[in-house]
Parts: sequence; structure tokens; C-alpha cells
Amino acid sequence: MPEFDLLMPQTLPEALEMLGDRAPDLTPLAGGTNVIVYMREDRHRYKMLMDLTRLNELHGVRREDGHLVLGSATTIAELLTDPLIAEHGALLRQAAAVFASPLVRNRATVGGNLVDASPAADTAPPLLVMNAEVELASQKGVRRVPMDEFMVGVNETLRQPEELLVSIRWPLPATRSAGGFSKIGLRKGAVCSVVSAAVMVEKDEDGLCQSARIALGAVATRPIRAYAAEEILVGQPLKPQIIDLAGQLSAETVKPIDDIRGSADYRRRMVEVLVRRLLSRAAQEIVPRE
Amino acid sequence: MDHSKFNVLGKATQRKDSVAKVTGSERYSIDIQLPRMIYGRILSSPYAHARIKGVDVQDAEAMGAVCITFDDIPHVRYNERIITIPSVLHKDHFILADKVRRMAEAVAAVAAETEALAEKAVRAIKVEYEPLPVLIDPFQAMQSGAEPIYDTILWGEEEIQVENNIACSRQVEEGDVDQAFAEADVIVEGTFKTPKIYHAQMEPKSVVCRPESDGGLTIWPTTQSIHNVRILLGEIFNIPLSKVNVKRVPIGGTFGSSIQMNSVIPICAALALKARRPVKLTLTREEDMHDHTRYGTWIALKLAAKKDGTLLGAKMELVADIGAHNIQPYSFLGVCVGWLVSLYKLPNVRYRGTAVYTNKAPSCAMQGFGNPQVTFAAETLMDELAEKLGTDSLELRLKNYIGLGDTFWGQGPLVRSIVQSDGVPELLRQGAEIIDWENRPKPGSQSGRFRRGVGLARGFHTSSAGAPQPGDVIDFSGAMVKVNQDGSVDVITALMDHGGGTLDALAKIAAEALCVPLEKVNLAPAETRSTVYDCVTHATRGVYAGGGAVLKAAEGVRQELLETAAHYLNVMPDALTLKLDKQQSQGVVYAPSIPEKRMTISEIATRCWTESWKTIATVESYRPVNCPPAYVTVFVEVEVDTWTGEVRTKRAAMGSDCGTVINPDMAVGQLEGGLSKGMGYALCECNQWEPDGQIASRGYWVDAKTPAIGETPYVQDIHSYFADSYEPSGPFGAKGIGEAATNPVAAAYANAVYNAINIRFYELPITPEVILKAVEEKGQSK
Ligand SMILES: Cc1cc2nc3c(=O)[nH]c(=O)nc-3n(C[C@H](O)[C@H](O)[C@H](O)COP(=O)(O)OP(=O)(O)OC[C@H]3O[C@@H](n4cnc5c(N)ncnc54)[C@H](O)[C@@H]3O)c2cc1C
Repeated sequence: MPEFDLLMPQTLPEALEMLGDRAPDLTPLAGGTNVIVYMREDRHRYKMLMDLTRLNELHGVRREDGHLVLGSATTIAELLTDPLIAEHGALLRQAAAVFASPLVRNRATVGGNLVDASPAADTAPPLLVMNAEVELASQKGVRRVPMDEFMVGVNETLRQPEELLVSIRWPLPATRSAGGFSKIGLRKGAVCSVVSAAVMVEKDEDGLCQSARIALGAVATRPIRAYAAEEILVGQPLKPQIIDLAGQLSAETVKPIDDIRGSADYRRRMVEVLVRRLLSRAAQEIVPRE
Repeated sequence: MDHSKFNVLGKATQRKDSVAKVTGSERYSIDIQLPRMIYGRILSSPYAHARIKGVDVQDAEAMGAVCITFDDIPHVRYNERIITIPSVLHKDHFILADKVRRMAEAVAAVAAETEALAEKAVRAIKVEYEPLPVLIDPFQAMQSGAEPIYDTILWGEEEIQVENNIACSRQVEEGDVDQAFAEADVIVEGTFKTPKIYHAQMEPKSVVCRPESDGGLTIWPTTQSIHNVRILLGEIFNIPLSKVNVKRVPIGGTFGSSIQMNSVIPICAALALKARRPVKLTLTREEDMHDHTRYGTWIALKLAAKKDGTLLGAKMELVADIGAHNIQPYSFLGVCVGWLVSLYKLPNVRYRGTAVYTNKAPSCAMQGFGNPQVTFAAETLMDELAEKLGTDSLELRLKNYIGLGDTFWGQGPLVRSIVQSDGVPELLRQGAEIIDWENRPKPGSQSGRFRRGVGLARGFHTSSAGAPQPGDVIDFSGAMVKVNQDGSVDVITALMDHGGGTLDALAKIAAEALCVPLEKVNLAPAETRSTVYDCVTHATRGVYAGGGAVLKAAEGVRQELLETAAHYLNVMPDALTLKLDKQQSQGVVYAPSIPEKRMTISEIATRCWTESWKTIATVESYRPVNCPPAYVTVFVEVEVDTWTGEVRTKRAAMGSDCGTVINPDMAVGQLEGGLSKGMGYALCECNQWEPDGQIASRGYWVDAKTPAIGETPYVQDIHSYFADSYEPSGPFGAKGIGEAATNPVAAAYANAVYNAINIRFYELPITPEVILKAVEEKGQSK
């Protein structure tokens, strides 16, 4: 591995100041499960790294005006044990459970996953369907960006070099809602997604679909929503026929590639299977009115 | 087999290395730390095929690193594996590349005070390459006009031309093949393709070398054969073998990947000799994935049979993708036809095998050495043949298999022996009952998302490569057994244990032969200068041949114990016998007719010592004159998800005829391990190469497609069982198990998938994607 300088700020303001002075030569380092790999394979040469682990402001999970707010440095392992996540972020927890391996999960962070912006980032589909926003901070101030706008392409986001991702927030899921996350990999553990999908549906009092969100990973240059499929579900009873159709429409939305993990064709077909499976399960989960 | 007559054999006992392993105190090569030791790194080529125009190490040396390039090494060509006799051994390898022939090949190497400095130094070396066309596909490599990967290589001492990148080829013809096919009622055929997969052993290859003041070397390597490493280093560096001492170090799994002298060993030795300091050199995982694979093969196989199911003959054409170096494909080509003709009676056979160089990782042995490849082809065709004939494939197998009294030559045409123990019928019948073979689904009978299938395949591996005549393969073992002053016993052997418990089996064999409690038998640390030769732990020979050597030495000790006691007791030696006295927890020599004439082994040994007489010890070499087949049958039940193409293992029945079962729990472990490795081979593992010679996974586990614990069949779903069998030529009736356990597994999966979805697959791995596509093409989805 090449040599680099490491800065270790103790507080968020200190970190933002360092970044303000030195960006773009200074790269934030969270768990390092992307950064270290890129360094080893010479994909990136980092002049300076800034360790984020000591910034208390990036840690912790809390409720705040009807939202759940998650520090960007929360590790994937923490998602599996945090009680608030269990209650208000079940999908994220499901994604964490099949994310990499236990060793990687202990280091990898949600913020790192989003800023790395792999099309296969496993925390993205759940956050997309939960209508999450990310909060970015720099010396100039704070701004919020909706998840669906944040990632713009392979390893590209709207984050400016002098900004840090501080937190991720989403509205607490409604009572008559349910959802799920599922991924297909080349094996069950320690793998990146060949395809991933998350869905979230809400029923109205009559048991009809009030809202539906579907997000897909590893099938385009970034994790995407399947808006066309979502639209046809709204106002409908969640029956097999319409679910099948939503699966097909999702598969038509995607623009996957052929690579070592799978062919474009296989990915498209798996999108259909995953969406169908997740929607049926979610539809059954929402208990009808007494 | 009735084990009650044994004291320790057949009983589950605690492994001698278990505490060290589970507490982390076992020291592997990578854990060795020596005073004044420095760290090595190799400079890996970024090209898969290139001429090296120049190497500039000035900057690296300026940092204080010791550097070696092609100019610093002995220009001796060698083969990393020396199981073939020297006169017909192909040699194409130098310590560092004279020309780059695969991605990540070592072009230069450095050693420095710290790993970080070594890394920095290696990056400071400048190499000028002239890239050459990269050959990934063996068929393209064979075309005339293809870029030559080698101009010449050595064959024995003779320099020979390499034509069309063909490393070697082999033809075998027995009987009258044309007549057999002319007389046949039925012919089945197929072309099978198997991938070059990574061994995925836990321990990346590592070595520590210490230069000695007398000009010699001491080595702590990852290896399956300490003596072959010593012989090669002596030859390459021109050092008398008496000054090259190779230590046996526990190995973190191998699956065949260290059957040859690992590429890092001579590099490290050259660094140590130049630096005059001990050097440690360990491959990164990325480097290791470029260093070795299983042989990739294309097998065109035809079987001819009569209407009644009697096999008449076979034609087989095999092309092996050997990658960038020759690690004995000549013997690979030989055994591949051996596996076929030793599986079933095929009196008439025509075979041509061709081994081709490509710019990929070198192929070396991996669990089965061609046997899983050939068995995949043969056992698929046996299923097809049964279907064509309208008979049960199990009965067809029973009718034709090579069993008791048959001649067989699994290890190639020159290694012939006669089968003396045969549990095949028992294995097939019992497995059929466990898996409910009678009621398996009919192919094509199912629809819906999940479809169930049952598959059967059988196979074997030879225990050793022993034969009545010397042949062209070196195979013998050696052992020393000595009785210590307190009556405990040291077993000293150069044999390696790959983690399967081979050495424990040897200790048990000594304990059984000498009627000594197992706790009193010690497995002494071993090194080449104080052990006699053992060729290598491979060919499923550890227990059979290595154990045979220990038994032979122990029998010598037993005889000497009797004679020594006879002297002390004033009784004729022939009147004495040896047994385990359970109360005293000791072996005793006694005269059955005069019970008071008795001495414990410890009394004998103590007296020999205090009366200044002798140590009771024996050293023996042992050449097996047979290589009995260790049979395995695999029944597997799968569930195919026709939506996703995933295949789940529901149940398996793994039956083994390994003769006397010495370590029952570890033998079960071999079967379970064989199933899970074979499952990976069948369903997921595949190294893909990009056109520039890079592996698509780039050496990362994430994309290496090796199955993990999540894919491994549940232990409670695997029913392991053993035939009641006794091998007359083996130590206490034992033969081998290891490679046999995996050889038929891929075929069993392919047959099970066929049974479920009525589609045959001729190429491994049968991935979800492949299945889905086939299901779709057949119009079977939904
Ligand atoms: C073996 C292995 C398996 C993997 N499996 C998976 C998997 O199953 N699913 C998956 O989605 N990913 C997987 N990954 C990828 C990786 O683990 C994740 O992307 C992880 O979440 C990255 O988090 P990190 O904290 O390690 O990021 P780092 O490597 O520290 O950083 C990643 C990027 O984010 C930036 N960054 C980090 N934090 C901030 C911040 N607060 N503000 C601004 N920028 C920031 C860094 O500068 C860098 O560009 C795997 C990686 C490995 C090595």
C-alpha cells in the first residue's frame, strides 16, 4: 500500500475546517472497507486521509420530529442491534443482515456505503423506499438532499469535496405499511449484490394500496426507483396479477450490465422475481382492518 | 468392520494438534519470527504475457532494500513438482521470470527491514515490458501462428522445442476400439467442459528462509513435501542436501495447492542468500489466486455398450489448460485415462490427451488430479446410457464397475494393481435406501417453481501411486519409530498432514501395533535432515503409504521389544507376545504359558537405558506395491428453484469404502468436506479471465465465487456411512479417503439437477444463471 498522511480531527467543526482548507486533496475515511481496497489495487491515490471515527456528531441513532436520524458513521453491525432501527428501519436491518461478512460489517458504515455510491450499495434501496434524505455539512452550512437525488452515477454523488455526510433521516414508517429488502449474490455470505431490491407499501383503510415504493440495486449506474411499477399499484388491491405486472414493469425499468457477477439478462429476470416476492410478502404482512 | 479387536483404531480420539489449533497457539509458516529476520515482497507483473526489457532496482536499493532480478538468480530451469522421475521431467521454470507468462508473475523481489519498507521498495522498481499477445483459450493457443509462450523447455536434460504451445501429449490405446464401437448396440457421447478453479486454501503461501554460516539454508515453508523442497533447492542453488534443512510446519489447508514447491520458496531462498539474513515471504491473497488453479479441461467422451448394458469400450479426447507453467501435466494426462478405465471395465479404449500452455495461472493438482473432471463426464454418460437402455443406472454401474479381482491402473498405464477390497455393492445399496432411490422423481415429471431431484454418482481415488514396478512416478514413504526411556514412543516421519488428521492416524497405527496407549505416542517435529524420505502427501496416500511405513517400523520395534524382553526374562522370543494391559495403561510383553514372565514396555526401555545397552528403534522405508481404490458413492437430493435457478442441497448420502476406518470422526469430516468442495465445483466456482489475462475477481474473495458457509449443506442433512471392508495390503486394513470423497460429487449434482428439471449440463459450474437460461430455452418456466 502506498504511504499517505492521516489527519484525526476530534470534533465536527475541526473536521470541516480541515476539509475546507484541504479538499479535494483530503479524503474522509470511515470504516475504510472501500478506501483501503482502492488503495491496495491502486485505483485511487489518496494524498491525505481524514479519520472520522472520533467525531461524536456522526454517531448515534435518535428520533426527531417524526423522523429517525442516523449518524453517518453508524456501522452496519450497529444496524443489526439498535432497537430504534429494529422498530423504524426494519428494511435497513434486513439489508445489514446480508451485507458483506461480520468482519466487514464491524467496520463498514452507512455513510461510507452511500458516499462510495456503488450501484450495488446495499443500504441504498431501503433508504430510497423509506424516502430518506441525507444531511451534508461544510463550513458554509448544512443542506439536505433526497436519497433519490444524492447518488448520480457509479461512485458519484452530489457531495462536494469540502462536505461531510453527517446523517441520514427518514419519516417513521406509517402503521399500515410494510416492506422488505432482498438481494441475490453469488453466494449467501460475503458478497456484493448481483441484484438487490427493496419495497415499501402502505394500504389504506379499505386494504387498497395507498402508496408503493420500489427500489433496485446493481441494475443501473446507481440504485434506482421503479416509478412506473409503483404507479400501477396505487389504488389497487395487492393481488397476484397486479404484483406480477409490477414485477414486469420493474424489470423493464432497469438498464443492467454484463459483468463477472451476472449477465444483464439474468439481472433483469431477477428483478422481476425479487419485486414479485417482496410485494407479495409485504401485502400479506399488513394486517387488514378488524 | 468390527473394530472391537482394536485398541485405538476405529475410535474417535482427540487430535494431538487440536488444543494448539483452537487456542491459536499453532505456529504456521507465517507465524515464524526469527532474530534479524527481514521481510520479502515480490514484484508482480502487471501483464500476463510480456518480454522484460529491463529492470531498474536503483531506487529500491537506495531505500536500503536487498533486490533480486533475473540476473541475480541461478539460471537453472526446474519443475516445481518432482514426482515424475528426472529423466522424463519437463522443466520450464526459473526462480524469477525470464519472460512474463502469466499475470502477477514474479519479475523481481526485495527484502527490507519492515513489511512497509519492502512494499515501498518493490513499488520503486522500474520494469520495462514489451507486452505480447495474451492467450487465454487453449484452442487458440494451439493454432498455428499463435504467439509462442515458450520457445524451448527441458525434457530431462534435453532441450526440446514447444510446438503450438503444446506442453506435452499422451496417447493410449488398448484392445480393439474400432471393433468395440462397431459391435456396440448403443453409443453415448458428450463434450464436457470444466473450469480452472482456485484451491481457496485458508493459508496463503508463505516461507521463512535462514541462510546458515556453513553456506546452507534452513527453511520453514508451506508445503506438502519437505523432502522434495529440499531436493529442488539443493539442485537449483547447488548446495549439498546435507546443508539444506527443510522443517515441517503445520499447513493451513492446501487441497493440492502446495503439492509442488511453491513459487515463493526459491525466491525467498535467493533473497536470504543475498541478504545474508533470514527472510520471510508471504503471498497476498491476490497474488495467491494468480499462483495456482485446478486443471481446466475439455473432455470429449464416447462410451459403447451392448443392449444388456455391458460396456465395450471408450474413446476419450482431453485437452487440459495448464496455464503458464508445467507442473507435471504429463502425469495428469496419464491419470486422466486411468481414472476412466478404472471406474468401469473398458477393455477397449482409445485416448488422446493434450496439455496446452496459456497465459493463465499454472494448473496444479487439486483434490482428485483430473478425477473429478473425468468422473463428471463418465458418470453423466452412465446416467444417459442407463436411460437409453431403459435400466436403472445403479444396476448399470454395478454391472460394469471395476471391483474385486479386477486389474486397475488409476494412476496411469504403468501403475497397475489388482483390487483386493471392494465395498461398492454395499455402498450403492445402502445409499439407495437412505435416499429412497426407488422413489426418486421421474425426469420431466415435475412442474411449478421448486423441483426436486435425486442424483447418483460413484467414484474412487487410488490410495498412493504404488505399483509392483518402479514406473515413472516416485512413490514411497519412510518412518522411524523409537521407544523412549519411560516406554513412550516417538513417531518420526516427514509426512505432511494437510489438516485432515493424517498424522493422528499414524500415531494410532503405532499405538495399535505396539499396544501402547495413544497418549504415549508422540508425533515428533520433523525436518529433512533427521527424517528419511517421504515423497509427498498426495494421491490419497497419507494413511495407506505413510501409515504403511509407520506400521513397518513399528513391527520392527515390536520384534525388538520381544527379543529384548526374551533376553531379560530368559524365555524364547517366540514364546512371548505383546498386549495392552488396560489396568496398567501400558503395553506388556509376556509369555501366555508362564504368566509371571512379563515386563512392561517401560520396564524394558528403562532397563535398556540404565544398563547402558541401547535404544529400541527402527527406521524403515516403505514402497506400496498396490494402490487400492478408495471407493465413494454420492447420492444427493436437490431442490431447483426455477424462478432464480438456485440449487439447494436437501440431503446427501456419502458412502465410503476406505477399508478400516482409523479416525471415524475425521473420516466423516473428509466426506462432508468432499461434498461441500464438490458442490462448489458443481454449482458456483469459476475463475474467469479477462482478455488481458487478469482474473475477473482480481483476486478478491468477494468475487472469487468460492462457496461459503451459507452454501455448505447442513451437517445434519449429510448421511455419512462406511462399507464393512478390509484392505489386505493396507496398514490394519486401511486405505485412503480424501480425494475420493470429492471426485464423484460434481457428477452427482449434475445428475440430480437433470433429475429435477430434465435438462443435462455438460459444463461446470451449473450456476443459477445457466439453469435459468436452460429452463427458459426449454420453455419450462412457470
Ligand atoms: C469484503 C467486502 C464485502 C463487501 N460487501 C458489501 C455488501 O455486501 N454490500 C455493500 O453495499 N457493500 C459491500 N462492500 C463495500 C463496503 O464495505 C461498503 O461500501 C461500506 O459501507 C463502506 O463503508 P466504509 O465506512 O468502510 O467506507 P470507507 O471506505 O471509509 O469510505 C467510502 C467512501 O465514502 C467516503 N466517506 C465515508 N464516510 C463519509 C462521510 N461521513 N462523509 C463524506 N464522505 C465519506 C470516503 O471518503 C470514501 O470515498 C464490501 C466491501 C468488502 C471489502
